[in-house]
Amino acid sequence: MSKRIFQHPEEPQTGKRYWRSLGQLQDTPEFRQWMHREFPQGASEIDGNDVSRRGFLQFMGASVALAGLSLASCRRPLKNLVPFTKAVEWSVPGKALFFASVMPTRNGGMPLVVTTFDGRPTKIEGNPLHPVNKGTTDVWAQSSVLDLYDPQRSKDVLSLGKKSDFVSFEKDLEEILKTSADGSGVAFLVDGIVSPTRERLRRKVLAKYPKAMWATYEPNGNDLEVAAAAVAFGNGHEVVNRLDQADIVLTVDRDILGVEGDIASVRGFAARRKVDGPKANMNRLYVVENRYTLTGGMSDHRLRLAASRSGAFLKALAAQVAKLSGDQFLATLAAGLKVVDTKIKDKWVEECAADLWAHKGKALVLAGNKQPVAVQALALAVNVSLGALGKTIELKKSAVDASASIAELAEELRKGAVKGLFILGGNPVYNAPADVHWAEAQAKAKTVVHLSIDQNETSAKAHWHVPAAHYLEQWEDCYASDGSYVVGQPVILPLYNGITGNELLAKIAGISADPLTLVRDTFAEVTSASGDYSAVWAKTLKNGFFSNASAKSIEAALRVDAVTKAIGDSPAASLADGQFELVFITDSKVDDGRYANNGWLQELPDPVTKLTWDNAALLSPAAARKLGVDTGDVIRLSMGEKKLEIAALVLPGHADDSISVAVGYGRTEVGSVGKSVGVNVFPFQTTVDRRFLTGVSALKTGRRHALAITQEHGALEGRGADITRQATTQEWSENAENKDFFKKMGIDAHAPANFSLYTHPPLDDVHGWGMAVDLNSCIGCAACMTACQAENNIPIVGKEQVINGREMHWMRTDRYFASEGGDADEPEMVSQPMMCQQCENAPCETVCPVNATVHSEDGLNVMAYNRCIGTRYCANNCPFKVRRFNFFDYNQRSITNLYRWNLISEKGTPDSIQMQKNPNVTVRMRGVMEKCTFCVQRVQEAKIAAKVKSSDSGVQPRVPADSFTSACAQVCPTEAIVFGDIRNPESRIAKLKEDQRGYRLLEYLNTENRVWYLARIRNPNPKMPDAARAGSASKGGHGHGGSHGHTSSQNGGHA
Amino acid sequence: MADSSVKLETPHELVRPALVDHGRSIQWVTENVSNIVESSTPKWWLLSFCITSPIALMGLICIVYQISNGVGVWGENHPNGWAWDITNFVFWIGIGHAGTLISAVLFLTRQKWRTSINRAAEAMTLFAVVCAGIFPAIHVGRVWYAWFLAPIPNTNAIWPNFRSPLLWDVFAVSTYFSVSVLFWFVGLIPDLATLRDRAKSRVAQIIYGVLALGWRGGNRQWRHYEMAYLLLAGLSTPLVLSVHSIVSFDFATSIMPGWHTTIFPPYFVAGAIFGGFAMVLTIMLPAARIFPQINDMITRNHVDKMAKIILLTGSIVGYAYLMELFVAWYGANKFEGFTFFTARANIDGKGWYQWAYWIMMFCNVISPQIFWFKKMRTNYVVVFVVCQFVNVGMWFERFTIIVTSLAQDFLPSSWGHYSPSTTEILTFVGTFGIFLSLFLLFMRFLPMIAISEVKGVTPEADPHNHHLKH
Repeated sequence: MSKRIFQHPEEPQTGKRYWRSLGQLQDTPEFRQWMHREFPQGASEIDGNDVSRRGFLQFMGASVALAGLSLASCRRPLKNLVPFTKAVEWSVPGKALFFASVMPTRNGGMPLVVTTFDGRPTKIEGNPLHPVNKGTTDVWAQSSVLDLYDPQRSKDVLSLGKKSDFVSFEKDLEEILKTSADGSGVAFLVDGIVSPTRERLRRKVLAKYPKAMWATYEPNGNDLEVAAAAVAFGNGHEVVNRLDQADIVLTVDRDILGVEGDIASVRGFAARRKVDGPKANMNRLYVVENRYTLTGGMSDHRLRLAASRSGAFLKALAAQVAKLSGDQFLATLAAGLKVVDTKIKDKWVEECAADLWAHKGKALVLAGNKQPVAVQALALAVNVSLGALGKTIELKKSAVDASASIAELAEELRKGAVKGLFILGGNPVYNAPADVHWAEAQAKAKTVVHLSIDQNETSAKAHWHVPAAHYLEQWEDCYASDGSYVVGQPVILPLYNGITGNELLAKIAGISADPLTLVRDTFAEVTSASGDYSAVWAKTLKNGFFSNASAKSIEAALRVDAVTKAIGDSPAASLADGQFELVFITDSKVDDGRYANNGWLQELPDPVTKLTWDNAALLSPAAARKLGVDTGDVIRLSMGEKKLEIAALVLPGHADDSISVAVGYGRTEVGSVGKSVGVNVFPFQTTVDRRFLTGVSALKTGRRHALAITQEHGALEGRGADITRQATTQEWSENAENKDFFKKMGIDAHAPANFSLYTHPPLDDVHGWGMAVDLNSCIGCAACMTACQAENNIPIVGKEQVINGREMHWMRTDRYFASEGGDADEPEMVSQPMMCQQCENAPCETVCPVNATVHSEDGLNVMAYNRCIGTRYCANNCPFKVRRFNFFDYNQRSITNLYRWNLISEKGTPDSIQMQKNPNVTVRMRGVMEKCTFCVQRVQEAKIAAKVKSSDSGVQPRVPADSFTSACAQVCPTEAIVFGDIRNPESRIAKLKEDQRGYRLLEYLNTENRVWYLARIRNPNPKMPDAARAGSASKGGHGHGGSHGHTSSQNGGHA
Repeated sequence: MADSSVKLETPHELVRPALVDHGRSIQWVTENVSNIVESSTPKWWLLSFCITSPIALMGLICIVYQISNGVGVWGENHPNGWAWDITNFVFWIGIGHAGTLISAVLFLTRQKWRTSINRAAEAMTLFAVVCAGIFPAIHVGRVWYAWFLAPIPNTNAIWPNFRSPLLWDVFAVSTYFSVSVLFWFVGLIPDLATLRDRAKSRVAQIIYGVLALGWRGGNRQWRHYEMAYLLLAGLSTPLVLSVHSIVSFDFATSIMPGWHTTIFPPYFVAGAIFGGFAMVLTIMLPAARIFPQINDMITRNHVDKMAKIILLTGSIVGYAYLMELFVAWYGANKFEGFTFFTARANIDGKGWYQWAYWIMMFCNVISPQIFWFKKMRTNYVVVFVVCQFVNVGMWFERFTIIVTSLAQDFLPSSWGHYSPSTTEILTFVGTFGIFLSLFLLFMRFLPMIAISEVKGVTPEADPHNHHLKH
């Protein structure tokens, strides 16, 4: 393929207009009306409202030619249509191209590799070269590709809600800036992403307008953690938690493995959780929390405690640690923290503190990052006393300059001092703390400019709304959490004319440069490159990051006076008996509401509650009894004037005097997906009460609200030993030599050896695909579910159909609560990813009357969609219930409109949504059964590639071990899922399936599954009062109902 | 016996009651049965038809809606891939068993009392199978590809999966329907000729004439006819056992606890006969009230015999229920134990559908026990009420088997409740409309009692019969 040279025509000054009628030429309203009547299908295309296939080709072709084009301003310059009649270099139809990029997040950039087909990004993967995530990602990165194609994204510049254009906006922008030469009266409010280019432009802007105000607001950000670090170690210091260095971890109200951590902490934890044998040095996790979180689910010891009592717990803990260490200062600090009452289990604290002290230098205490600064500072002091500094916690220099808070900005606004307010990203009208009264304050500004990817509550109240580019559409950059510089490379031209915040800042700073130049200039600055750095730049683009710039950890000592003062000044959190605390939790799906219009996220079950399309008031079974409510009953929460009505959801293991509600729901100005979903709890949150609000009263209303929960039943029903096997470290080391220890638990301890009357045709391919799921390192985050959805074109079905039990996820993460005595207050939580087990003796295959599901020689249970008539018999006969049926035509019908007679309903999917689809996976129609295929498209691609490489038409050569993997295995942040070729002795799966911990589900059915689960190991501290509870989930239902088998070691004894 | 000096006295209790009461003559039989067809349309018939046919139409509209929008308009979900659809299918196909049993098995075993009820029972069988056939056809997701089930050699060389019980079902039910139609029609030929001969209008003469296939009632024709009837009876007899055995294989060959049970084939067949006879009585008892003249042909004796069969098969079904519970306990498989004792019987309060199970238990096992008393067997009101219990109970039996096994199976994470949608309920109601409309049409236009066969069992037809003479 010869290199293509683009010969674009000169940009015409006054282009020729081709027209078909005088009406079109004049473009009269009558003509437009006529056109809409005549061509309802194409009208929007001619209007330019929606991105169409033809329009898309324009973007697509041009995206290849993007590099090097200079954008003179934030106005969209003319782009030329480059047809595919002459092949574009590298682009082969149906073949994926991969580009390194980055997703900016508040925890630092997530380094990515973006899969694109014919110029459209379809799938996000982690950057395997980057040390922070090593090719893995999370739920939000996976689903961000759908945001790109959201047909309801902001498309136009709006002036007071009316469609306008960039020219008028720029004119007005100049007006605003003209009035203020030194920047007084100009203010900026930005979100919490850490972008070097933005920081550079900020300095330029502030250099030009020194009196301008710069504020940051991130509703679920870690500003209080930064503040605590500033108290403890001085301004500009940030604390980095090194879970990979910790033997003992104690978290207090901190979901470090879930929404209050990042991928680095998850991977750090998992690295110390993975075990290769009973002698492995596995970490131990103590969790104190008010509700079950992913972190609590992984814990070895868990104490349920109201979030407002976290300070009391830390006070008790600090006192114990001080006693053991003889640290007089810590003892003083602990005594100084004011708490109202201390309903803390003494024995628990004592033994926990003893364990932490025994592992001095290898222990880590993490306090909630939204707990009051004093509480977090006390936790840091405990860490220092435990010798954690420089070992399990490190300090680094903050990558961003300090900025004002939203409260300070609101104060300025209220004074009437702000003429021009620029809001870059975020949605403060919706999610600012209630006591800031943001909407009111914002209205005081003369001109408000809001740059955002969607038209939200804030845009509705802004004078100018400017559409923002998605991160996949424009050049951006970020620091990853390890401090490396990561470049965000665009993979498609902006679909809807969005611009980046950097472009806007550059414009304000008077810099005339396109986004690429802006980023390149930052790159030069960050890398201190001089002269021609294009080779380094090219390498950085290819790899996606520049690692030399990694921030080094710095040293600092605990600032004794500042900590003492902060703790002394802190008021006591009070929680009176009979009242509840209301805990604000970061939602695992819509975050602070920003992802409310993302259907994948709305339909993704919360990893713990399994709730979709809603938020709910989580409360304990005891609290529910007290209020006389059950799941789905609407309760009224009130605190003074504020009232809120929300459905209750009874969650085992929740603290009794606590109610948790996820923020981010109840959006009003949002696309059709997020509309009327959930209840907005932000009005209860204040700048002081970021985490919890005490003294809330709750009342039953008598009304019901339907909650769409994907898992109706959470108890194991005594089947733990069959389904989710686990053992404690002690039990395991006692049975270290027993090969069958984990294989003969539950019913398999008694079932006679399997034999089959029927032999299936030989599975004689050179490959045999299999999967292993390590339950010990799976945290249950559900990133695999989203990755599967993106990879396999899985539709969403809407709230109503989720209630009907018809969600389409090919894989799910089962979450069980279990306890030996059926105690719903103190259960254990277990997560288990469940996908098609690809049984060699597949029960689904024998019952299909039309041979639509059959076995391949390489061991896959495959579906022929074209052949399927939809009897659903296969799904009925599946012991794992992993098959999914298309009850409606989800790809053709709107989810709000499924019951309308098909013949008179609109059909079709928006063009932009079609662009997300993976071209190598069939989009299924209604009436067809589907299920996990082990990503057969990836398997085939690898096999074909191997065959092409060998140039032998006859024999299928073996695909190199672990050279590709399934979508779920690829995304898994803890690498708990491993996919590969069981016939290749060098592959990881071939070794894992022989692991002592390996077992197959329902082995006695003789289905010969190709998925091996690796049993979970709990590492309890035998001295703890609740040590006997660890691992109880798999004990309760041993075969003979308790006559024997109270411990797993006895379970194993049957072998 | 020929010795006239010894007078043989049959004990009173061993005297077989007459099959036609009041010593009715042959001519009386012809007259009274034909009269039903030949008289002008009664008001009750018009009224009934005006009720049943809109219900049938409503059912058809529901079916069109369901095919148009997808199976989602029903209540099925994950994990309940089947629910009312297959429940209704098995319910109707079970009802369709009485006809063949009466016409074929009782014919071969020379149970002459069958003659007065076999025609209506066979018609009911056909209509029930029509209703049954609707459900497996429309329950599939893509009904327009249902022809994939047919073993048609095609260019792709893809055959149906002969290992699938669902495919066996297709063959079993279609065979059963074809043979039943044939058997029914062959039985009708002499009566159609009778109607042709009596018809006064030209149109009726032509229609009945064509249908009678040139029957003249000659000896040669009778000889061939009776041989054909006997052969068809022989052919149908195994079908009585095979159809429901194969329907039960849908469940028995699966691996779901509660389905995977070797007792299913005999238990399903017994259940089908049980339910079938209840439905025959449900229809015949009102008919006998509407047409008092047929009371001499369908006598208390008939009702008594059918009630005995209901008692027998009901007890077999009850035995099967108890045996399932025993095996679930004895087998010590926790999953199976859970399905029977928790999901169905709900002894520990964790089951969801115990009401369905206990309705089934009461209706099918307890209620027929009243038939141990002859007084009850011959009391039409009692018999009718018990038959309604049996109809309900047999529907719940299938619902229990299907839904309890699916709703709470191996992994608690995938458990899910099921409840029917309005469309689904109306479709089922619609099949009753179809069934009753067809039966009303049958009563109006065809002889509902086999004239020639009943004539064959009247005293007149057997001049040597002596037991009436003393």
